[in-house]
Amino acid sequence: MSLAISALEYISNVKNGTTTAEEFIAKTLDRISKHESKVHAFISINENALEQARAIDKKIKSKEKVGAFYGMPISIKDNISVKDGKTTCASKMLQEYVSPYDATVVTKLKSQDAILIGKANLDEFAMGIATEFSAFGPSKNPWNTDYVPGGSSGGSAASVSALECVASLGSDTGGSVRNPASFCSVVGLKPTYGLVSRYGLVSYANSIEQIGPIARRVEDVALLLNHISGRDANDNTTIDGKNQDYLGEIGSGIQDKKIGVIKEMSRGAGLDKNVESAFWRAVDSFEKLGAKIEEMSLDMVEFTVATYYVLTTAEAGSNLSRYDNIRYGYQMDLEGYEFKSYISKARKNFGPEVTRRMILGGFVPSAGFAGKYLLKALKVKSKLKRQVLEAFKKFDFLISPTVPILPFRFGEKVDDPLAMYMADINTVTANLTGVPAISVPFEIHNGLPIGIQIHANTLQEKQLLQAAYALQGTTSLPGAPL
Amino acid sequence: MVTKEDIEHVAKLMRIDIDNADEHFERIQKIMNYFDILDKADIESEEIPVQEVTIGELREDKYIPFESKLITNLKNYKGTFVRAPKMN
Amino acid sequence: MIGLEIHCQLTNLQSKLFCSCKANYREFEPNTNLCPVCMGLPGSLPRLNQKAVEKASMIAMALNCKTPQRLGFFRKNYFYPDLPKNFQITQLNMYGPTSIGDQGKVSIEGKDIRIRRIQLEEDPGRLIYEGASERTQITLVDYNRAGTPLVEIVTEPDFDNPRQVRIFLNILSDLLENLGVSDPTLEGAMRADANVSIEGGLRVEVKNIGSFHDLEKAIHFELTRQQSLAERGIPVAQETRHWDDKRKITISSRSKEEDEDYRYILEGDIPWVVLDSKSIEKWRGSMPESISSKKERYITKYNIPVQVADVLSSDKYYSDLFEQAHTESNAKEIANMITTDLMGLVDTREKREQSKLSPKHLSDLIEIINNGKVTRSSAKNALQEIVKTGKSVSEIVSQTGLAKISDEGELGKIITEIMSQEPTAVQQARENPQTINYLVGKVMQKTKGTADPTLTLKILKEKIST
Repeated sequence: MSLAISALEYISNVKNGTTTAEEFIAKTLDRISKHESKVHAFISINENALEQARAIDKKIKSKEKVGAFYGMPISIKDNISVKDGKTTCASKMLQEYVSPYDATVVTKLKSQDAILIGKANLDEFAMGIATEFSAFGPSKNPWNTDYVPGGSSGGSAASVSALECVASLGSDTGGSVRNPASFCSVVGLKPTYGLVSRYGLVSYANSIEQIGPIARRVEDVALLLNHISGRDANDNTTIDGKNQDYLGEIGSGIQDKKIGVIKEMSRGAGLDKNVESAFWRAVDSFEKLGAKIEEMSLDMVEFTVATYYVLTTAEAGSNLSRYDNIRYGYQMDLEGYEFKSYISKARKNFGPEVTRRMILGGFVPSAGFAGKYLLKALKVKSKLKRQVLEAFKKFDFLISPTVPILPFRFGEKVDDPLAMYMADINTVTANLTGVPAISVPFEIHNGLPIGIQIHANTLQEKQLLQAAYALQGTTSLPGAPL
Repeated sequence: MVTKEDIEHVAKLMRIDIDNADEHFERIQKIMNYFDILDKADIESEEIPVQEVTIGELREDKYIPFESKLITNLKNYKGTFVRAPKMN
Repeated sequence: MIGLEIHCQLTNLQSKLFCSCKANYREFEPNTNLCPVCMGLPGSLPRLNQKAVEKASMIAMALNCKTPQRLGFFRKNYFYPDLPKNFQITQLNMYGPTSIGDQGKVSIEGKDIRIRRIQLEEDPGRLIYEGASERTQITLVDYNRAGTPLVEIVTEPDFDNPRQVRIFLNILSDLLENLGVSDPTLEGAMRADANVSIEGGLRVEVKNIGSFHDLEKAIHFELTRQQSLAERGIPVAQETRHWDDKRKITISSRSKEEDEDYRYILEGDIPWVVLDSKSIEKWRGSMPESISSKKERYITKYNIPVQVADVLSSDKYYSDLFEQAHTESNAKEIANMITTDLMGLVDTREKREQSKLSPKHLSDLIEIINNGKVTRSSAKNALQEIVKTGKSVSEIVSQTGLAKISDEGELGKIITEIMSQEPTAVQQARENPQTINYLVGKVMQKTKGTADPTLTLKILKEKIST
């Protein structure tokens, strides 16, 4: 029995008795214990996984109603709350925090008999593109452990790529699902803002982020989306996705669809030559699939990285204020401090990148600077959205490389935050405009993966997944050489 | 132009001890300078982008107690009070 | 000049502003009225209370404010241990009018008090200080209150004196009671800050005033303090002072106010609420009649004197009684009975709670007065008994002998007796018929008010002239 199977294959194998949940989970746990020292995809492992698998097998055997996932192992980014387990956000600030409730997506997965195999590593509070900023050590890229797995959902993507689970949930604020999906050669979707409930997702920049599925196959991502999407009374920002079946008709193809190539993301100085040539080969593939390709321009893209960092640092500064170590957090004695000195000392436990963004987040909305930064960023966001929605009147999809660069070595970008931020240029537009975007593995260059990004209009996930599935069909990529 | 004093002041406002402003100064200044690109954007007439809901979509006013006693999940407590440092 | 910032809890809602915990937290042990949302636990999201929007909007409309097209929420960021998230979700008009109301006004003694803004926001938790000395002091926090729906009313500095403030507060508490949104008598339900300045002086902000009662006192104290400084030629400094509710004085805040920068940002977790005109009209229609229009109606429709109408309309307890007891014909008498005879019997919350009086008692009393069964002053005595016991009017009349003495023989005997006891008064009444009322009074006293006053006068006159 192989672990390198899709979610759909797993489910049919368990259904037809080829394997059992217990067998698969046991093998998965073996795999984890064998490879975790190299990959470090997890912050914590579910110690009851085997027991849960047995319970599901028992239900199958006794012909009780079984949830759609049949005990499939799914990893959960450690900024998504799972009841009675640690939710650390890869931060020392929350190293001892235990959530008293489940995130809505977790409730949904549990009710469908998924097994939450472990909590995946991330950049501290999801701020980063390399998982290097985890307070508990970086995750490694299963394709080459000298290289970063991308971020911030690096643990999620690495765990899927390393066959330590079948699928994962990450969160995407500026590309945090798509970037590591691209770097680890897996599929990652950032849904329409509001399609998936954020209740239980620890906020970084709440006005633009979404929980998104990561898997090795496009159809698995569609299956996961079927089960995590939908309006939630616990999240006022969720919208009606009409309960679409994203999996059905996934093979419809993209004959005669109009695809726009976003010029600002697909040409130019910051784009790695190897990524660029791979991307244009993907354009050829789309053309061969019968799509009509046209280059187009979104001139506001020039301002998106600055806009993204102004908005996200302002929101992060506010969202992370609650971590004052008084109600929850880690052990630090109160004696000898007054309130201000206590929390200032306690908050010193934020890592350097979070600290930096908190300081930026103190500047941009402050009385003296709000007009210069925050107000302008909001207006750019507004104009960008109009431009993108306008473009979707003409195009069915907009495409670009997911990340303008190849996976890089550890430490390569750490000292130049601005250069690191510029690597977000292709992914932040989907977050700033709320539209869905997916990264599909396309090539391996010198052992390093390259992904292609497809955007669709608001709530057009079904069509988006059809396009991604079509592109996936043109590729035949190996698994990670672990 | 952001100065070291600005950074120290903001760090204090954000309640984060920093050992010295130097370690952040260069990087933050570089990033803030980059943010100046926003001055070039032609956006004067744009509205503030917000999501909307109708009144009917809001939560019904109903008392439903939380399923468990939350206080036991919290730290630093005395009786059922949460303990905080002294104020001055 | 005086300006106010008044915080009113919407105590009569079932749940908090952003979660389903109880709005009225007073019955709970510390920190037992909590959930992940009001504790701001990682990953929790606010869920706006529909009813809170409705009720706050009604308050804004009742204070003649403009209603925005969309309701927006913002985060006011500052660190304090009573704030679970270290920011407060509140409202302001940063990107156009989005707070629940603005530009309202209330007219007091012919002067317009302008309402700058009304905002819907969450109350923080409560701090309790423990420990003998500063060195050993610890801070205890009870978060039960955190997230309680709060309406903040910000006025312009339009009050000239504490009396106008008092009238405003009376109008406001009556209004809140009238709308059924809040019980102003609950501890901590009404709190206020005041900006106070005298002519030529700088503005002093007085914070931490825990009740309307103290607000008046605090303003009075602060005005006096500033005036006495001015008289001695000492300039009034611009500062923040705290109201010490034990010593009833204002004290300069020792810690100098940091240059607080609240870094207001949009609350992205709460989409802007579209206040459609249909809902607004529905709310407006379901609003109880305003105090001023009620007063107007009492005066014009029932010909009730202005002062009586004033008292009646501005107290929900009285006006509710009136509305239920009166008919077209007895309205004026019911109004009089409430504002003269009943008022002293039910002038506190406790007395009202214990009172067994029903509206029917009032209409029954007026009826037996009108058909001559009892006198007005007997009715007043009966009222006392009713409030205490809740007995029906007929029961009281038959049991306690309140029935009017209209038997000429019986009354004649009593009058003869009084006249023999008061020879001087009798003599005076003969010389000056005006003074006969003294003797009528004596008869009433003796009969505990049951004597028929008309008959008494008639018999007295006869007896005196003979």
